[in-house]
Amino acid sequence: MEHSGFRILWREIVRDKLALISLIFFMMMVAFVFGISLFLDESEIVTVDLFAIHEPPSSQFWLGTDYGGRDVFGQLIIGTRNSLSIGILVTLISGIVGITMGVVSGYFGGTVDNILMRILDFFMILPTLMIVIVFVSIVPNYGVMSFSLIMSVFLWMGIARLIRSKALQEKELDYVNASKTAGSSHLKIIFKQVLPNISSLIIVTMTLNLAANIGLESGLSFLGFGFPESTPSLGTLVSYARNPQTLEYRWWIWLPASLLILILMLSINNVGQALKRATDAKQRRG
Amino acid sequence: MSKVPVRLLFFAIVLSLVMVLAACNENSTESDVDKPETDVEKEETEEAEQTDEPEEAGGETEELYSIDDFSNIKGEDETPLEGGELTFGLVSDTAFEGILNYNFYDGNPDVQVLQWFDEGLLTWDENYVYTNDGAATYTMSDDNKTATITIRDNVNWHDGEPVKAEDLLFAHEVIAHPDYDGIRFDASLRNVEGIEAYHNGEADTISGIEVVDEKTIKITYKEATPSLITGGIWTYPLAKHIFGDMNVADISSSPEVRQQPIGFGPYKVESIVPGESVVYSKNEDYWRGEPKLDKVTLKVINPNVVVEALKNGEVDIVDSFPVDQFPDNADLSNLSWLGVTDRAYTYIGFKLGKWDADNGINVYDPDAKMANVNLRKAMAHAVDNNTVGERFYHGLRWAGTTLIPPSHPEFHDSENEGLPYDPELAKQLLDEAGYVDVNGDNFREDPDGNELVINFASMSGGEIAEPLVKYYIQAWEQVGLHVEMLEGRLHEFNSFYDRVEADDPEIDIYQAAWSVGIDVDPDGLWGEQAAFNMTRWTNEENTRLIKEGLSEAAFDLETRVETYKEWQQLMVEEVPAFPTLYRAVLVPVNNRVQNYAIGDGTGIYRYQVGVSAEEPEVAE
Repeated sequence: MEHSGFRILWREIVRDKLALISLIFFMMMVAFVFGISLFLDESEIVTVDLFAIHEPPSSQFWLGTDYGGRDVFGQLIIGTRNSLSIGILVTLISGIVGITMGVVSGYFGGTVDNILMRILDFFMILPTLMIVIVFVSIVPNYGVMSFSLIMSVFLWMGIARLIRSKALQEKELDYVNASKTAGSSHLKIIFKQVLPNISSLIIVTMTLNLAANIGLESGLSFLGFGFPESTPSLGTLVSYARNPQTLEYRWWIWLPASLLILILMLSINNVGQALKRATDAKQRRG
Repeated sequence: MSKVPVRLLFFAIVLSLVMVLAACNENSTESDVDKPETDVEKEETEEAEQTDEPEEAGGETEELYSIDDFSNIKGEDETPLEGGELTFGLVSDTAFEGILNYNFYDGNPDVQVLQWFDEGLLTWDENYVYTNDGAATYTMSDDNKTATITIRDNVNWHDGEPVKAEDLLFAHEVIAHPDYDGIRFDASLRNVEGIEAYHNGEADTISGIEVVDEKTIKITYKEATPSLITGGIWTYPLAKHIFGDMNVADISSSPEVRQQPIGFGPYKVESIVPGESVVYSKNEDYWRGEPKLDKVTLKVINPNVVVEALKNGEVDIVDSFPVDQFPDNADLSNLSWLGVTDRAYTYIGFKLGKWDADNGINVYDPDAKMANVNLRKAMAHAVDNNTVGERFYHGLRWAGTTLIPPSHPEFHDSENEGLPYDPELAKQLLDEAGYVDVNGDNFREDPDGNELVINFASMSGGEIAEPLVKYYIQAWEQVGLHVEMLEGRLHEFNSFYDRVEADDPEIDIYQAAWSVGIDVDPDGLWGEQAAFNMTRWTNEENTRLIKEGLSEAAFDLETRVETYKEWQQLMVEEVPAFPTLYRAVLVPVNNRVQNYAIGDGTGIYRYQVGVSAEEPEVAE
């Protein structure tokens, strides 16, 4: 289904050169990282090699090695893949939960709305970081999937609120009433009519969320609650810089990862900003 | 709209930075194809490569150091000034607790604060045997059960009151008091005659202690053991004229312990910022003589900034330096480095039984997963700790051999090689013991053909924790043993010890480290009744040898040395645990500091410390 909303979004991106470059760069990065990591042997990359500790970049180790003699370039690729996967997974899971909650709550209103919003309030007041840290240290199998699930549990509220308010407006509109009168089921109205009408909002929020979510794992790893070193991630690489010696003398361990995080977030943000403008006719450039 | 170019510019800068980074490495991409395949080759090729690499400024990692190259004394290479000030850094990422009395403190940071203003009545030599050079002299009776301690006449508390025999008696009374809230009432104090009765309220006095005159005290012990003269006598008096009227329970929180602590050491406490710093001034009345320095400032310094603080002379000395930062800073022009073998070791222990809390003994379980001695030996032979020490710690930690570390030179058996790295022998031992691979998964099964997965528990924290554990697991894989990190990760310090001490059935082997006391007696760590013996292994031979080491016969040094040699050999043969790394303590000292020493029995005392310049030297 070609929706006119999507065409506006696309046109806005094409008009904004920065957003276009960012989008292309991001796509290439994703393809590159996921492509290359197919050919990398993860267990070999995390193998400790006593005879290659802290090697500076060389022909054998493109980006040198860390304090366990592990190849930083390999870790960077796998790490980017892991961090991207987390970002995308968290955005999708929290997005789906949030959208469903929001649209149901907004569309039905009344008691349903009341109950769902109280549940949401409950999640909002939880001291998220503390609980995440506790979960992370008790979960028996700590990997990309479990981490994404844990994070998603605490990240769906914002998007749910946003969608609810939009759905509240939307359901008062004539097309919804008309559809109701015509006898369409609630499910059909929600998914076939309301949702497509707020899809541009969804796309924009999800894109902007994606940028934030990629940084999530890095932040937690930096605090020391991230993945074990056997699961490389951008956050783990950056957190090596907590050691003053690494920070001062061994830039190759943390600098590439830090720059990569910066660029990835910038690109996604650039795209997101363009999309955001597209949803508001007054700001559009195209 | 006008914002866009700026954003674009920023983005472009970042992008170009990345490109430059990528380009840096591009020229070297092609030669990467032929990676050496076997491990042996890898060692050789890479070592060859390392030698012709240009040295990184400051960051060279291949250098090897040895504790033998360090002195533990910085003597007097320049004449110290009369007076002067000095700053002492206490390396810690938390505040010090501030229980500033030897009778009450319980953490190492507090000792560092205490050392400047208080001391024990007796000093000891490098073998930890009490000497008569301290503030008091002592003699042992013929049956070795009674110590007579005579305090020198000129030893006075900071407030001018003389240190009396009854102060030492008072210290015993306070520690043994039921309301006492410290941790000093331990086995060696319980050895004092009549102290248990006093502790239980059955007696008003401690029958084994007799104050002969103002400066002389006689303490009688229940059992004569050689431990008595190597740390078994409590030598820290407690000022009765100050604390005498207080309730015992209130002493540790009183201002005389926390804010205005008292001692009879070379310096007096001038002021304290709790947990952060202490200013000392000189005690002109110090019994050894007037201290050189006018003022000493002690401050807590975070391990992350300790190098900077030393470079710019913010601190002159630190209590101990993070060893992993040493290689990058070994050449700092304004520092001299002192080193000494630490009274500590890291070891890998095998869980072999249970703690019987009711009877307070370790019970060996012959059916434990690790109960096969050849399996344990093989695991010890499979790991190359010398290489670990050289590569991870630049030689500042080195392979352990026996469970008495070389910090006790008299008792450490340097001829005992322990279980050196020998993977072939390890494989052979496993084959003989019936651990063979029957299902072709490259891992050995146990003698009954069941899959063997060994769970390895280790602590997080410390720079090299994770790669080290990974290395051990890889090394065991090389000999065909399937070892996994417990739950796939490292465990936080407290929960690690909780689980190991509680004999968590999930844990098969664990890596831990500890400091050993100044007395060599291993009873508290490896004895049948030691709760600390977390392997839970024990046998009759072990109990016998430990007992012999404490018997009256062991007052003869040679007998005691022989006994402990035998014990070390027993532990090598039975391998309930094997030491992995011995370690060095390094202390940087600013060049202007004179007469400073670390370690025991150096004959250099704190009052002699001086500085040869008003201002600390700054690194070039």
